[in-house]
Amino acid sequence: MTQRWTATGLSQDLPKAVAMAGHWQGHDLAVWRSASGRLQAWNDRCPHRGMRLSHGFVRGETLACIYHGWVYGADGGCKHIPAHPALTPPATIRVAAFACVEQDGVIWVAPAETVGAPVALRGLQPLRSISLTCDVVAVRLAEPALSGDDVLRGLVQIGGQACEVCLLVQHGASGLTLHALCAVGADRIAASRWLEDLRRRAERKGAA
Amino acid sequence: MIAPEVMNEWYPVAMAAQICAGQRRVTQLLGQPITVHVQDGVIVVTGQAGPLHVTEAFGHVWACPGTPAHPLFPIPEALETGRRLVDVGVVRVKCSPLRAVENFLDIAHFPFVHTDVLGAEPHTEVNRYEVQIREDSDEVWATKVTFYQPQAAKSAEGGIVTQYMYRVPAPTAAVLYKTCPARPDAWDVIGIFVQPLSEELCDVWPWMALYDDATPQAELIAFQQMIFLQDRSILENQIPRLLPLDPGMEIPTQADLTSIAYRRWLKKRGLTYGAQMVAA
Ligand code: FES
Repeated sequence: MTQRWTATGLSQDLPKAVAMAGHWQGHDLAVWRSASGRLQAWNDRCPHRGMRLSHGFVRGETLACIYHGWVYGADGGCKHIPAHPALTPPATIRVAAFACVEQDGVIWVAPAETVGAPVALRGLQPLRSISLTCDVVAVRLAEPALSGDDVLRGLVQIGGQACEVCLLVQHGASGLTLHALCAVGADRIAASRWLEDLRRRAERKGAA
Repeated sequence: MIAPEVMNEWYPVAMAAQICAGQRRVTQLLGQPITVHVQDGVIVVTGQAGPLHVTEAFGHVWACPGTPAHPLFPIPEALETGRRLVDVGVVRVKCSPLRAVENFLDIAHFPFVHTDVLGAEPHTEVNRYEVQIREDSDEVWATKVTFYQPQAAKSAEGGIVTQYMYRVPAPTAAVLYKTCPARPDAWDVIGIFVQPLSEELCDVWPWMALYDDATPQAELIAFQQMIFLQDRSILENQIPRLLPLDPGMEIPTQADLTSIAYRRWLKKRGLTYGAQMVAA
């Protein structure tokens, strides 16, 4: 069931000791990297009073909620409640974890029980992520060389040269996010301009 | 259909001084459009179905869209001589009006949200305090609350252990009493009056009655607004959007006794506008 993996960001955009918002098919996630580099994706909701954990702060190998500072360890279990420093939090206080892997410079998420690996993207390098207000159909209409649904691939013209690109599609509430990769060795600046141009063209198609 | 229990309560809808100065406020109450303005020398609030019940208190205009179940609650301290009454203005927050009140009742967040102002690590402990629903007034009260604060008020210099009392006299209003740095025998009084524009949008009107003759008005207002802007970044990012009245998926602790009592009190009185009853 490899198709259950969804790209939620590029490795280059999530440095060590940082948390960010992620998504898996309508589920909001807190994706974070510990000080040592360990990557995790959790339900984006603190079990205490519902604050988004993606707004939290990383300390060492733990993620703390920004509201009341509850500290969650690598397994999602609550390790510390600052309002009650002497208390050992019961093991039942736990944030639900998703599966999260990093491969080819892409951060992939899936439900915890997911087996198998995300699709391999050999010969490609991460470019950047971009948000669009249209759907995938509009993207394919704007660039007929691209095919696929959740993974759009094809040979497109970038700076006068044929270049292989791959756009990993992430569906959100108000549109799409595309996590773009291009052939190793391609002109990244030209590829980035192509991507912005694709967004303009696709959004125009989507609106039409 | 909004429950009569909700319709028959009082809600803040404007700052009185602004309306008296001739401003006309076109706004919303419980999802319905209303207008607040002066007509023939009196403040009127008009809804789609005609005029609403109006009263003026604590610097603000209050309206009841139904038939008032009781008069507006009193704040006796507002009448004490020597106090400075400060209308802070308005902060719009994309959250349930009930969540805005609940956050105001919370102290455990001070070190993390109002860092180095109302709290600072490692002074994060919330000592046991007392909470009750007072039978005579049917209000939620929390007393004997103490917390270490690096800069409790504009007039405070350096860290002190501040004592607090909290009071919920109306579904979308709360008042706190805290140690007054200038007068150890008296309490400073700070209120928040929350106007429910809809179930997920509110205008928050902070108000203060302080013993502080020294701090310029603009500084007092800026200080309080900074505090509420910090709270807003929390309030707009809590899940679910509505306040859950059933514990459901949330795990409160002893530090949350006021919040637990507030939720119970809302549920008991059927004040469910901005709340959700099912655990989700
Ligand atoms: S909501 Fe996360 S610690 Fe309170």
